[in-house]
Amino acid sequence: MNDPYLSHEAMQNQPCATTGAQAGMAPWQASLTLEFAEKNGRSSLSKKCHQGPLVIQKVLYPEGQSVCHGIIVHPPGGVAGGDALRLEVQLGQSSHALLTTPGASKWYKANGREASQHLKFDLATAAHLEWLPQENILFDGAMLNLSAEINLAQDANYAGWEILCFGRQASREQWQSGQLQQRLVIRREHKMIWQERAVLKPDSRVIASMAGLCGKVVSGSFVVAAGLLPETLLAECRQMTVEQMTVESGAQMAVTALPEIFSARYIGLSSQSARQYFEALWHILRPWYANRPASRPRIWNT
Amino acid sequence: MPSEIGNHRLALSRMLQLASTMLPVGAYSYSQGLEWAIESGTVHDANTAQLWVNDVLHIYQTSFELPVLQRLYQAWQAGDESAISTWDAFFKAGRDTAEALAETRQMGYSLRRLLNDLQQLPADFLAKLNRLNEPAFPTVYAGAACLWQIGAQDMLHTYAWSWMENQVSAAMKTIPLGQVAGQKIMLALGQLLPQIIEQAMQLHDDEISNFAPALSMAGCLHETQYSRLFRS
Repeated sequence: MNDPYLSHEAMQNQPCATTGAQAGMAPWQASLTLEFAEKNGRSSLSKKCHQGPLVIQKVLYPEGQSVCHGIIVHPPGGVAGGDALRLEVQLGQSSHALLTTPGASKWYKANGREASQHLKFDLATAAHLEWLPQENILFDGAMLNLSAEINLAQDANYAGWEILCFGRQASREQWQSGQLQQRLVIRREHKMIWQERAVLKPDSRVIASMAGLCGKVVSGSFVVAAGLLPETLLAECRQMTVEQMTVESGAQMAVTALPEIFSARYIGLSSQSARQYFEALWHILRPWYANRPASRPRIWNT
Repeated sequence: MPSEIGNHRLALSRMLQLASTMLPVGAYSYSQGLEWAIESGTVHDANTAQLWVNDVLHIYQTSFELPVLQRLYQAWQAGDESAISTWDAFFKAGRDTAEALAETRQMGYSLRRLLNDLQQLPADFLAKLNRLNEPAFPTVYAGAACLWQIGAQDMLHTYAWSWMENQVSAAMKTIPLGQVAGQKIMLALGQLLPQIIEQAMQLHDDEISNFAPALSMAGCLHETQYSRLFRS
């Protein structure tokens, strides 16, 4: 068992920040570590440290003191082959943070070197984290490794989505070469409760397969780890259909509620539709898992 | 008869017993999204049925279920209870719809119960088996295969065959298809199995993938399908 994702200890002991000189055209090794804490009903960013170009903008409180909104920015604007981004977030007991990004993450042609993004979120008792980034656009030739490892203590809740767009749709570019490795692992009190893994190349059977991506260029997954969703809310989520959402015909969307996880998926032709779908679900789900209505980050309007 | 051959023939008996549709684990009551694929029109005749089962065989069974089954078998062989639990949790955490998770737990429960009810299996094996918390079907299956000295490759082949037979049978009942059409699909896909098993056995840990979105969504949508033969 040589896979670190299967062994909890192996991941815990990795250093908080990468080191090494940035010289000339060397790839960026960027890391950002954030800590949120709750005191007297206010969640605040209690600690941050970063290396390289990955930062958090000033935190915002658009919905009162108890939820801290943060915008994660990668100033270079796109990720090139060999770049490695690492975001680590620790949430103290009962703290609540919502993190998003100001625009799509662009993954450039790799020139033979894999780019990576590693997310590691550790939530203490009764903490909440919402990770609601904008989509990932895979340029033709992009080689990337996306991984997310989420550790939840008792009563901690996590809601997060990830949208992948294969090729720049605006310029009708196709993803004709490259590779993608994507992993998501969620553990509650050290027990693995959810994992998704994809290993894709443009010619992988799963891309065209009627049981896979059906030739669609956008794939999205939205996961909430907050226990079993009540049947009435699940029924509401199921009402969000292609007809209801006025998304493009041919898109497929579906939800399911497992004992520990709510999962929604989208495959289709538009990352905007995927976001619209997940956001509609978020409006239904947030009062359940966070006991407050959805509060749309203003950055999504720009 | 030399004992080595005797053991091999005995393993064959056990293999056939595991593969038999008489094995009381309820596999026949699940379609794993196929019933929705038929309802929605994606699968509508013998050709599309073969395509669907072949695709799922390649993108899901070969990339996820079979390699995890193989690792569970190795863990049983090594008597490593912690590795058995780890891969059991990994498998269940990767079952990404309510019905897929419920299915593997129910079938795991039924097979474990059967192995206990046989009242002939070694106590230490049953003790290990019974310590597992709601084991997945492949977890229990790998334990039985290991105990009965079925080789890893043979076990994977048997398991994949049973899965395939169950899928084809679901297609025959639902589309519906005739006996000969079903047998033709089994003949064609059966031919692919040796190669698929080889492929599954060569995967590294980081090549395991459970990404099959339309299959997952078919499982989700089957949960509320108006009229269905198969369990959700």
